[in-house]
Amino acid sequence: MSNRLRRPRRACVLLVALALGLLAAGCAGGDSSGEESHGGAADLPGPVPAEVAFRAPPDDAPPAPDFSADLIDGTPVTASDLWDDRPVVLMFTASWCERCADVHRRVAEVVDEREGVALLGIVPADDAQGAREYAEELGLGYPVAVGDERVWLSYAVREPPTVVLVAPEGKVLRGWPGGVETPVLAERLDELFQGR
Amino acid sequence: MNRARPAAASLAGAVLLGLAGCGGGGEDTVEAHLRLVVPDNNIRVEGVECAGARPFDYVRPGASFTLEAPDGTVLADGELPAGRAENADPSIDWGVERIPTVCVMELELEGLPERPGYRLRLPEGRPLAFDRSDLSGDEPLMLLVQ
Repeated sequence: MSNRLRRPRRACVLLVALALGLLAAGCAGGDSSGEESHGGAADLPGPVPAEVAFRAPPDDAPPAPDFSADLIDGTPVTASDLWDDRPVVLMFTASWCERCADVHRRVAEVVDEREGVALLGIVPADDAQGAREYAEELGLGYPVAVGDERVWLSYAVREPPTVVLVAPEGKVLRGWPGGVETPVLAERLDELFQGR
Repeated sequence: MNRARPAAASLAGAVLLGLAGCGGGGEDTVEAHLRLVVPDNNIRVEGVECAGARPFDYVRPGASFTLEAPDGTVLADGELPAGRAENADPSIDWGVERIPTVCVMELELEGLPERPGYRLRLPEGRPLAFDRSDLSGDEPLMLLVQ
């Protein structure tokens, strides 16, 4: 009698274990290859290198509106954590915006050459699925967040692409609706480095 | 029902109505060349690719549209192409590169069943109505997004 009772329990345990295993796979982004997806937590910047120092932002620069959002892999990110001790370039973009990928790529090239600078892509709230494909195709190695309407409105972004430069300590230095020329962004970033 | 899809780049983002699978064989058809004008007055470089700026951000490449008869029958559907920025007020010489613009999307619909009137329905906003007679001219018909 007891065996007859145990068998269903064993089956139950196996089923629960199987379900948990499937859930865990799902939580890992469904990538059975074990590779990290682009634009997610793996692309968040590490600490600012000790040899890199930034200038304090101008006193009259307006404060950057802080926000929290999820990266496209679900990892929460808070903007002020990023700009606490480094410049951050916010790249407002969208998967359906044909010009945006090119602007995003060129901005990433500028940031690549400047250690310690962070780049955060921000897509509209209804573009999360498209943004995953966008990030995979671009493969830039920088995080992409899904920003709700308040994020877009707080930076007065009416249309992607828009690039915003935030100085360390969270001061808005400049916004470029429609994108920014590479030398212009490079010059503004270089002004923030001590010793350049 | 006809299904419209973005055509090749050489057609400048035009949308062609598929003929396969349409009902009503032998029915008179018309062509509609529409200029969908988004009056967002956004600052852009004239001629750049664009989508509707807030609060018209639902008018964007890939957004769905339907074309309906007055009785609500869907005659065609498809996805909007990218737009091009045009000077919001050509009477003004702005003197700078970045100027107030509207975003204009071109839709070319062929093989459209003939009806007395049509309504273009976007994901949000009011349907944009026009008459069959509006399609008679050589110039594209301008529809202002509201």
